[in-house]
Amino acid sequence: MRLFVCSLFLFLVLMPKGALNDTRKKDGTSLGERVQQLMDTMTKRSVVRLNTDKFKQYVKALPRNYSMIIMFTAMAPQRQCAICRHASDEFQIVANSYRYSQLFSNKMFFGVVDFDEGADIFTSLKMNSAPTFMHFPAKGKPKKVDIMDIQRHGISAEAIAKWIAERTDVHIRVFRPPNYSGTIGLVTLIVLIGGLLYLRRNNLDFLYNRVMWAVLALSFVFAMTSGQMWNHIRNPPFLHKTQQGGVAYIHGSSQGQFVVETYIIAIINGAIVVGMILLTEAANSKTGAGDVGKRRIMAIIGLALVAFFFSLLLSIFRSKAGGYPYSKTDERREIH
Amino acid sequence: MVTSATLYNVLHWLNFTVDIRNVCVFLAPLFSSLTTIVTYHLTKELSNPGAGLVAAAMISIVPGYISRSVAGSYDNEGIAIFCMLFTYYTWIKAVKTGSLSWSVICALAYFYMVSSWGGYVFLINLIPLHVLALMISGRFSHRVYVAYTTLYCTGTILSMQIPFVGFQPVLTSEHMGALGVFGLVQLHALVDYVKTKMSTEDFNVVFQSVISTAVVLLLGVAAVLTFSGKIAPWTGRFYSLLDPSYAKNNIPIIASVSEHQPTAWSSFYFDLQLLVFLFPAGLYFCFANLSDANIFIILYGMTSVYFAGVMVRLMLVLAPVMCILSGIGASTLLSKYMKGLEASSPPSAGASEKKAKKSDPQSFLRHEISLAFVAMMTFMFVTYALHCTWVTSEAYSSPSIVLSARGHDGSRIIFDDFREAYNWLKHNTPEDAKVMSWWDYGYQITAMANRTIIVDNNTWNNTHISRVGQAMASPEDKAYEIMRELDVDYVLVIFGGLTGYSSDDINKFLWMVRIGGSTETGKHIKEADFYTPQGEFRVDKEGSPTLLNCLMYKMCYYRFGSLYTEGGKPPGWDRVRGAEIGNKDFELDVLEEAYTTEHWIVRIFKVK
Repeated sequence: MRLFVCSLFLFLVLMPKGALNDTRKKDGTSLGERVQQLMDTMTKRSVVRLNTDKFKQYVKALPRNYSMIIMFTAMAPQRQCAICRHASDEFQIVANSYRYSQLFSNKMFFGVVDFDEGADIFTSLKMNSAPTFMHFPAKGKPKKVDIMDIQRHGISAEAIAKWIAERTDVHIRVFRPPNYSGTIGLVTLIVLIGGLLYLRRNNLDFLYNRVMWAVLALSFVFAMTSGQMWNHIRNPPFLHKTQQGGVAYIHGSSQGQFVVETYIIAIINGAIVVGMILLTEAANSKTGAGDVGKRRIMAIIGLALVAFFFSLLLSIFRSKAGGYPYSKTDERREIH
Repeated sequence: MVTSATLYNVLHWLNFTVDIRNVCVFLAPLFSSLTTIVTYHLTKELSNPGAGLVAAAMISIVPGYISRSVAGSYDNEGIAIFCMLFTYYTWIKAVKTGSLSWSVICALAYFYMVSSWGGYVFLINLIPLHVLALMISGRFSHRVYVAYTTLYCTGTILSMQIPFVGFQPVLTSEHMGALGVFGLVQLHALVDYVKTKMSTEDFNVVFQSVISTAVVLLLGVAAVLTFSGKIAPWTGRFYSLLDPSYAKNNIPIIASVSEHQPTAWSSFYFDLQLLVFLFPAGLYFCFANLSDANIFIILYGMTSVYFAGVMVRLMLVLAPVMCILSGIGASTLLSKYMKGLEASSPPSAGASEKKAKKSDPQSFLRHEISLAFVAMMTFMFVTYALHCTWVTSEAYSSPSIVLSARGHDGSRIIFDDFREAYNWLKHNTPEDAKVMSWWDYGYQITAMANRTIIVDNNTWNNTHISRVGQAMASPEDKAYEIMRELDVDYVLVIFGGLTGYSSDDINKFLWMVRIGGSTETGKHIKEADFYTPQGEFRVDKEGSPTLLNCLMYKMCYYRFGSLYTEGGKPPGWDRVRGAEIGNKDFELDVLEEAYTTEHWIVRIFKVK
């Protein structure tokens, strides 16, 4: 994934500084003053920018009666971390939602550490990938679960809010500023279509063109029967790289599928149907008219297509279903 | 149920004393045979009798339909598909003939459909869609007007007689489409009538002004009604069909039913085989010979293909239309090529030489091709029949209450643990004992063990099921409080670790956690706690401590740690998860083991 590209970059760039000791008792300012400073920053923006010193002062120092949600990122262009940008936007949305909600208090703050401003923090926490979301509780050290598992949950604002709710019991309602791009897109589309129809208003026959509708309908059917809805809901990987370095296009069992696999199946189905249509067209021309040779070739091609792709489909299905006809399948339905 | 009762009474009146149980068991196959007959008639209306025969032959063995109409599966869909196809048949007849009598029969068939299945919503949206398509493509005629008006008025009033439906046809969004099209149909017919009575320019002026005011008025009324809440929004079940990710994110109990999962392509192929690509060919032929009835079947095909892709259970709705269109496709192809075969018979002796020479090359070439094609089609049909019979016998014929497997030497081993456990419950527990289990087994326990249960398959009460989920997922002491609150005497779990039975409660456990955590009282139950730090669900030593100490784990694996299950593996080897369990020698504090069946599949515990 893209995350690993970022982590690779950071690996190359990390200077092997000595591990910093956590200087915990650096309380140049008292707790009350720190909380006040944080609240002051909050009036200007929802996320506190932290460098090494500020990090030690606000996050690491004890005593502390507030928790902090920190995003570790690398936003500089030369780091080329595209996902940091997305994560930062989503993080900002969560922070804003928290800031302007009734739950806002001085018990929890949001902060961000950029790699270019606080590289030693990264090394001290042994962090080598970005972005990372970490929760520093008011009491005690952060545990493994205080680092958000982005691989499983993603970086969307809702996922971040859910993770925060699990760690701190503060339920932030994510409020996304209304996104007008969708409305603008829709309006543009309607205007375009309206314009097109208006220009062709004298000759609207193309709408009645059967072949166009037939092709549309058939493509829709191929898309559905090859399992595109499953892809849309379950988001499977595109294909699978096996451990030996080979590439697997077909999922091993009949319970799953890859995106590439669905395209292959759609093509096979399409080829079989095209073959059948060719056969029909060959038979349709009236006897005596039309080029006999051409019709013959069409028919033969159609026949060959159907036979070949049907057997291909059978063999793919056999490979997935573990021997076809199989000797034992599991019960496919839940016990009612 | 009304159908079974009626059949039973009729048979008894005729002095055929059939037991009610047999009536119920054989109801589904009876109605599927009736479905075959209706399919024949429907396809005959759409195309020709030959296509009808092929379609009927196909639907008689298609696994997608057989899966829900096996003898003994007494569920709504058994008769619902018959009602649906019968309604469609009468609708097509009504559209074609425009007669009032067929429309009324259609309304009656629709009433029967409404009384049998909640899927009638599909019908009441498909038929208006068809009418709309006819209007748009300029095929609107007096026949359609008569048919739809009669059907809508009579059918809706009849459907409102069913208590479950009540006033929904005028209140919910699912039925608004039909109402809207009804209004549109009246307008269209009015416009047509007025057009015949006025001159063209006058007509144009009136037409435009009236249309614009009417549209604005309608939209305004609809908007006001929706925003004021009079018209209820789409309910969860149907909304999740339109927006497939809705259920996954918001309602775990809908998302957890395995039949509500989306469909992978291999499920399509598994249930329909040949039909998957004969169906687009049939679609193409329908487009080539477009008629009012063909438009209907095209719409039906497209919508059901989409819905079947979203939910596996709706494969059932797709199967009939696949058979119909495949029948049309196959019979069109075959009839063309069989003609080629017939024409190739040697010309009669009386034909002149010249004529014979002319027709000979064409027919001779086509003879070989036709032969090849017919042979291939025959082969494909044979594989279809083989596939269907195999799928039915292997996947859809096993009773779900008695399991079987093949031993190493090929002999069959029977696991009758469910009935063993239910019989034990029936004979060894007090009559008013309450049993807690997961909802899958509710009906079975009620029927076979005759004991009260906490939750069952009628999954309307989400909070209650969530409470049971919390009890299963909490540690013993918290679970004891919940069980005392629910007044539970016995707890029943299904465990497959000894036999390798994979539909057991540990595999369903994550759903229990999700459903348990989805309500207010279960806020402390978080799915992430049950995974390892790496995000895996493991039952061995690496497993999360929350999982290893929850009630479900302890119940399933009580005394299991000392059992040898498979050669060469340590004791306590779970054959389903493929791991040695992590928490072995523990004692149960709040429960005591009451009964474990022979193969450890069902385990019953008594609450102390």
